[in-house]
Amino acid sequence: MGNRAPLPLTLTILVVVFAFLYLPISVLFGLSFNEGGMPTAWSGFSVKWYFLLFQDQDIIHAALNTLVVAVVSTILAAILGTLLAIGVEIRRRKGRLLETMIFAPMIIPDIVLAIALLSFFSLLDVTMGLHTIIVSHVVFNLAFVCSVVRARLKSFDWSIVEASTDLGAPILVTLRRIVIPVLMPAVVAGSLLAFTLSVDEFIIAFFTAGAGRASTTLPMQIFSMIRFGVTPEINALSTIVMIVSVVILAISQRINRGGLPGQ
Amino acid sequence: MNSALLTIQNVEKHFNKYHAVDGISLEIAENEFFALLGPSGSGKTTLLRMLAGFETPTVGNILLDGKDISHIPPNHRPINLMFQSYALFPHMSVAQNIAYGLEMEKLPKTEIKSRVDEMMEMVQLPHLAGRKPEQLSGGQRQRVALARSLVKRPRLLLLDEPLGALDKKLRGEMQLELKRIQNQFGITFVVVTHDQEEALVMADRVAILKDGKLLQHGTPLEIYEYPQTRFAADFIGVMNFFPARMPDGTPTTADGAAFKASIPDAIRDGDEVLAAVRPERLHLGATAQDNSLTGTVRAIAYHGLDLSRCISTRRSLPSR
Repeated sequence: MGNRAPLPLTLTILVVVFAFLYLPISVLFGLSFNEGGMPTAWSGFSVKWYFLLFQDQDIIHAALNTLVVAVVSTILAAILGTLLAIGVEIRRRKGRLLETMIFAPMIIPDIVLAIALLSFFSLLDVTMGLHTIIVSHVVFNLAFVCSVVRARLKSFDWSIVEASTDLGAPILVTLRRIVIPVLMPAVVAGSLLAFTLSVDEFIIAFFTAGAGRASTTLPMQIFSMIRFGVTPEINALSTIVMIVSVVILAISQRINRGGLPGQ
Repeated sequence: MNSALLTIQNVEKHFNKYHAVDGISLEIAENEFFALLGPSGSGKTTLLRMLAGFETPTVGNILLDGKDISHIPPNHRPINLMFQSYALFPHMSVAQNIAYGLEMEKLPKTEIKSRVDEMMEMVQLPHLAGRKPEQLSGGQRQRVALARSLVKRPRLLLLDEPLGALDKKLRGEMQLELKRIQNQFGITFVVVTHDQEEALVMADRVAILKDGKLLQHGTPLEIYEYPQTRFAADFIGVMNFFPARMPDGTPTTADGAAFKASIPDAIRDGDEVLAAVRPERLHLGATAQDNSLTGTVRAIAYHGLDLSRCISTRRSLPSR
């Protein structure tokens, strides 16, 4: 009475599913090295599209913008998200509403959030640019950092905070020397996750970037290029963005799983 | 006895309507090894946390060296607490854990180092200085926790169920080890435990707590030999109880067996009483003598060191 499917069938299903997931990405990956640049024919291996990419001033400019947005919004989100997670954990018994409210930005559709932020900035009459993108990215990055840190806090032994106080440490010293170092793996993991989300975020950046090309980010640049057809440069650019995201995400997962000794 | 190091004056702690500690007064002398003994919910841990400063008494005062410390925060009290979970800092090595409290006192680096080294020597851990807590056994963690609180040379060391997480054999060793260390340092220890044997073995004096109240306190001998309540008699060691009446100044069971015993003044003729006898004071014999009961052996349990027999007397509770 075998209740497991025979091996060849299981294997076939596995292959089909993974092909479905990864075939489009590998096509993109392959085409970015296609000498001729035509999606229809393979004409030899080349990295020339990557070279062309780095000579395109618009792309370099967009890439720098993306980096600034991602780094600044991640740092802000890391600080605020960690403090928020600690605060919510301490007040957990006072109700679950607060908890739900924090995670709302993760669940609310990006387009809704984008429009909301746009109306908000218009209402305040703020000139839009990189700074408004940064603020907007903090909104959802904060929720991600907070959720990763909260998960770590669930297994946090609060008696070490009391032990630190008992040994003579004022509360800020306890925060700096005990709480933050113990939570650091989760803060870093959450920040890296936030960073990757920020790097390839399109809708919110598009809505809050304001007029002109000054604050164009990489996803916005790709979007504007693609309107004239998919070029081999876009394939190359997408490949780079993808590799950066995957690597950072892998590091993030590893840090959070391994953690510091004693977790 | 020396003058009191710690004075607990009519302390109460209320959590909403619940009185976790309900009017306790105690004096603890310098260099004493004092045990707060009670079942869970007796208020012993709450009392300990008030001594450490993590809770403030709702009513009453706590004096250390004659000064009221009730409202001084934990980080400003010359009192340290060894946590039940040990609460070692997971990201610091053994040596860093022990040094932490001294760094908070802003002592010179060289003094910190020499005191940490000395302390690790004392608890036999110098070879583990660089290890992280997760790489230690339960017994080793316990020693690190002890060293970390002792290195500050507190006036008073509080220990919350210090041996609770250890296995039975190790617990026996550590009971003696704790006594040795207490002797060597001359620091007053207050230990909270629910284990009556632990309290009797380690402490100079024991206080029995129940429902937030102090039932009785005294030396282990006083507590064991002269329990003042049924609860204390039952909680400490093993005890046989025989319900009896006092027709003429002698407790007499329903079977008519009479006990010759010392009778507290408060008991009057005609009262219903409970005769309590330790099993090691009972002897089995074929012929009836003074203070004897007749019964049938129902079961025998062999423990190695001793033997317990379950005997049913005609109308009394089973005895051992």
